[in-house]
This record gives sequence, structure tokens and C-alpha cells, in this order.
Amino acid sequence: MSTLEVVTGVLALTGLAVCVVGLGWRVSGVQGRPFRWDVAPAKGSAARGVAYAFTLGMAPWAKESTRRHLLAYVRGILLHLAIFAGLAWLAASPWHAEVPKVVRLLTASVLTAGMAMGLAGFWMRRREPALRQLSTPDDYASLGLVTLFLATAALSAVAAWCLPGLWALSGLMLAYIPFGKLRHFVYFFYTRTFFGLLFGRRGVLESAR
Amino acid sequence: MARLDANKATLVKDTLGKLIDRKLLASLEVCVRCGICAESCHYYLADPRPEHAPFYRSEQVRRLYRSLFDPIGRHLPWWVGAQRPTEESLAQLAEMAFSTCTLCRRCTLNCPSGCDTAQIMRAMRTVAVAAGLAPEMLVQLADASIAREEHLEDFKEIYLEQVRALEEEVREATGDPQAHIPVDVEGADILYVALSGAHTILPAAILFHEAGSNWTLSMFEASNYGVFLADTARAKRITERIVREAERLRVREVVVTDCGHAYTTLRWEAPNWFGKPFPFQVRSLIELVAGWISDGIITVDPTHNPEPVTYHDSCNLGRNSGLIEEPRTILRAVCQDFREMTPNREHNYCCGGGGGLVATPEWTDLRLKAGGPKAQQVRATGAQVVAASCDNCRIQLGDISEHYALGTRVVGLMELVVKALVPQRAKGHPLEADVA
Repeated sequence: MSTLEVVTGVLALTGLAVCVVGLGWRVSGVQGRPFRWDVAPAKGSAARGVAYAFTLGMAPWAKESTRRHLLAYVRGILLHLAIFAGLAWLAASPWHAEVPKVVRLLTASVLTAGMAMGLAGFWMRRREPALRQLSTPDDYASLGLVTLFLATAALSAVAAWCLPGLWALSGLMLAYIPFGKLRHFVYFFYTRTFFGLLFGRRGVLESAR
Repeated sequence: MARLDANKATLVKDTLGKLIDRKLLASLEVCVRCGICAESCHYYLADPRPEHAPFYRSEQVRRLYRSLFDPIGRHLPWWVGAQRPTEESLAQLAEMAFSTCTLCRRCTLNCPSGCDTAQIMRAMRTVAVAAGLAPEMLVQLADASIAREEHLEDFKEIYLEQVRALEEEVREATGDPQAHIPVDVEGADILYVALSGAHTILPAAILFHEAGSNWTLSMFEASNYGVFLADTARAKRITERIVREAERLRVREVVVTDCGHAYTTLRWEAPNWFGKPFPFQVRSLIELVAGWISDGIITVDPTHNPEPVTYHDSCNLGRNSGLIEEPRTILRAVCQDFREMTPNREHNYCCGGGGGLVATPEWTDLRLKAGGPKAQQVRATGAQVVAASCDNCRIQLGDISEHYALGTRVVGLMELVVKALVPQRAKGHPLEADVA
């Protein structure tokens, strides 16, 4: 291993540590807030509501908004799938040489598509007046970090010499997660659960009636 | 920009801080401002300006939240768009929360993350009440409800006289000279909670009589303006009147008139304020009547309502309470030509009158404009009659019918039932108690 690889590897691991500790702090912040189960007698099924919230409720056809903004929604889905793929690749990257070439090429394709979705995100944020008006430096930094992460991940999948770049950028991105907008994924699991509980218990969702 | 004085700043922070439970925190943190919720809001559809999009509105509250509670927002406000409150910004937030969101939760249903914007707006309303920025009319109406219990003896005689006057109409409608409206009856099965005015008492009295129910009329009205203020202390006090009355009369269930927020409050929200389920069941009159029709306890003839009828799903009853199929059971039985709006059920558009908007005259123009999508929905059905199961919706639908020249008549769901009713009780038809 070269010095550069060691230094950037340590950077990535440090970023991961900051991310884990930071997210732990965020999660404890949520868990530390009061939560009361609804005591009114249920009309529908809370469990079926939660199950719907995380499955069919996420389907592109499930909501009027996602049907209307199909491209934007699919862009978001692809971006997130690519991020998961990128993180998986990051975990596997120290064993770059052992990963079959076909898998690396496939991974690079997915990550490149994800990077394109990230770039499209910049375009959409600038195009929509409301989004443009509301966007903060954090929005652009978060999207920029993710897009660069996907770009370096894609490059490193086909060219091992790019690995230090991936590790350095990953360290930066991971360390930033608890402090910027990227932390939203932690809260996603809460809001979807609460969504399912609310509309499920009250018998609003057809699948929970 | 006038900075908030120290006391007010502390009040705002403390009030918001106490409201941030796990649900609210998650909703405040989860939004990535993807923007796809915009068209789910009737305000945005009626007037597609950025400030009418749900994510835009909730972002204004998030800016306040970040400036007070998020470490990054406190130290690097420009980076995350945090904004410390000023006199002006607080007044703007208060107006936004009360005038441009009806708390209908259509955006929640349409958000990929399920962000509860209504809860965020409620939190902002609570902060506004604490800061003395709530609409005066809502405050007065809420306080008047509380005062009614405090001065019940002064009201009681007048109220009973009004009820006695209505009994004549019940006798006429049912053809039964013994028909009456029971009030304050201990040991009744049902405590029926109506709204102020005869329009929610009379149809219910006729139907209770026809079904042979053992019921009694509440001394109090169902509406709860404390809920619109998002002032739990006031809302709880208003609800307590009914809870105490139900416990004193030892009823088995409380039946709420066809009123959206009143039902949602008593059925779903209030038990959480009291920290336990009520010792009585809470149902809507709609559930009761749908059951009576299905079980053959009352007989209806749809030819009495021959005109095309469409139904407006109240956001509180439908999307927020799951009363979705029950009104349709009724309408299919009592109307010859029932037509659905598109979209309908839990996806229905808010009429624009919810969240207390009908009671706040200063925002009438905004309310009528926000009713535009509903007007289009109604017009597309070709219906001559719009049935509503919520009094606020009924007022708003009447106003938008006039404003948009729809030429539709707006009626309460129970009015249609009474019109279709074929009185059978005098012929020895089974009573509700017999069937049960």
C-alpha cells in the first residue's frame, strides 16, 4: 500500500467514525424526545399501515405527486440506489483486485447513472423557482458531495489508481452526513413509520382497513 | 427588522421546544425540499406561487426551528438557511400557519417521506397563540365555548326552550305526536353532540326517533375552536365539557354530529390529551346511520333524491379519520344518481374552508381562491347537489358555489337521509334495540 492509500484510507475510516458517532447523536436526539402511542381505539391496522408505508406506499404509482413528477421521483430513486451501490463498492474497494471485472464494470455503470442523477438534481434545483428560492449552501454541498462520491466511486471501479480519491471523498462525505441535509435518511424511517401508524390505525389507507 | 424582546424570544423558544416530540422532530428534519408535494395542496393549485407549496411553508418554520434548536443552524445560520425570529417574521409565520394551510394532510399523503406538514403548521399555530398572534375571532370563539360551561345555568333555560320549539318539527316529520328531543337524560345509551343551530339537531332527532334509539342531546356544541388554534389547553377544556357530561349521564357512547374537526378531535385526538381511552365509545352520526341503513333499521327511498348528487369528503372525516366508505353506503341508498368527484376519498381536495378558515373573515378572499380546485371538481361531476358531512365544508362549498357560479345546492348528508326517509316506526318496524 502506498502512503497516499494509507492516508486516504485513514481519512475514510475517520469519516466513518464521525458519521457513526454523529448519527448516534442525532438518533439519540430523536429518541430523547417524547413519544406517545395513540390511545384512541384503532379503526384499522397500524401494522398494515406501516407495512404499506415501506412497500407499496413507496411505489411510483402509489401517490398522485409521484405520478405527476414521475421523472423527478425516478431520479431520486435511482440516485439513492446508486448511493447504496456506491457505499457497497466503498466497503469492497480495498479488495479491488479480487472483484471480477464484469462486476466492477456493472458497478461503474450504476454509479455513473447515479452521478448523472446527481447532476440532474442541480439542474432541477436551479430550474424550479420555489426550489431555487429555498435552496441553501447545505443543499448544494450535500448534492455536490454525493455526486462527486458517485463519480469517484465509478472511476475507481474501473481504475484502481482512483481509489485514494474515492477514500478521501468518502471520508469527507461521511463526516458531513450528521451535520447537513444528508442526515435526512435517519428521519425517513421515523416519518414513514409515523405515516403508517397514523393512516393505518385510523383506517384511512385502503390496505389497512 | 425589529428583534424580539428577550421575553418573547424565550416564550417562542420554550413553546416550540415543548412541542417537539419524536413525530414533529422527524417531520422537521426529513424534508429534502424535493418539491413534488406542491400540487397536492389546493392553495398551490389555485395559485401556483412558491409560497403556496407545502414544502415552502414548512421550510419557513424549519428556519425558525434550526435557528433555535439545531447546532449548525445556531452557529452557521446562512449555511442551512436558519432564521432567527423577529417581530415581522413571527407575524408572517403566524399568518402563514393560520391562513394558507387548512391542516388537511393531503401533502402528507403525497410526500415520499410522509412528512406531516399539518403537524408543523399546528406547532406554528401554537407558537402564534403563545405570542399573541392568533386570529382574534378563533380565540373569542374558543373562549365562548369555555364560558358556556362556566355559565351553563344561564344558558340552560333558553337552550331547552329552543329544543322544545324544534320538537314540533320532529313530530311533523315522523308523524308521531309522542316524538320528542330528550335532553340531560341519565342512563341514555347515546349522548348526541350537535352543533349550534337546528340544522344538526333536527335531522338527527328525526333519525334517532325513527331508529328507536335511547338517546339524549348534549348541552354543548361539538365544535372546538381550541383545535383550530392548536391550543391544547383550550381544546382540552372544551372537550372536557362533553366528557364530563357523558360520564355524568353514564352513556355508552357519544355520537358526534356530521362535523369534521369535532369528530376527529373527540374520536382520535382527545383521548391522547387525557392519556387514556374514554369510558364510552365515540362514533360519528354517519357511522350510526350507515349501520341503520345496512341493517334495515331505517327505510329510505332514493327516488326522494332524484337529482345528481356528489359528495365532498371532509378532510377531517376522510383523510384524517377513515370515515370513507360509510358516507358512500348512505349516499348509494338515499340518492338515485350519486356521482364521485375525481379524486375522491382520502385523495380528495380540501374545499378550502378547513383549519378554522371559515371562521376568520380577514382571509375570505384567500379562502375563496383556494376553493378553486374544489369548484372545478364539483363542476366536472355535473351534479346539482353537493352533499357535505362537515359544517365548515358546507359553508365553504356554498360560498364557492356562489363565487364560481356553479349553480349547485349544498346540503348536509343527514338532510338527504331525512328527505329519503320512509317513516316505518308507526307501522311496528323493528327498533334499533330489537335488532341489536
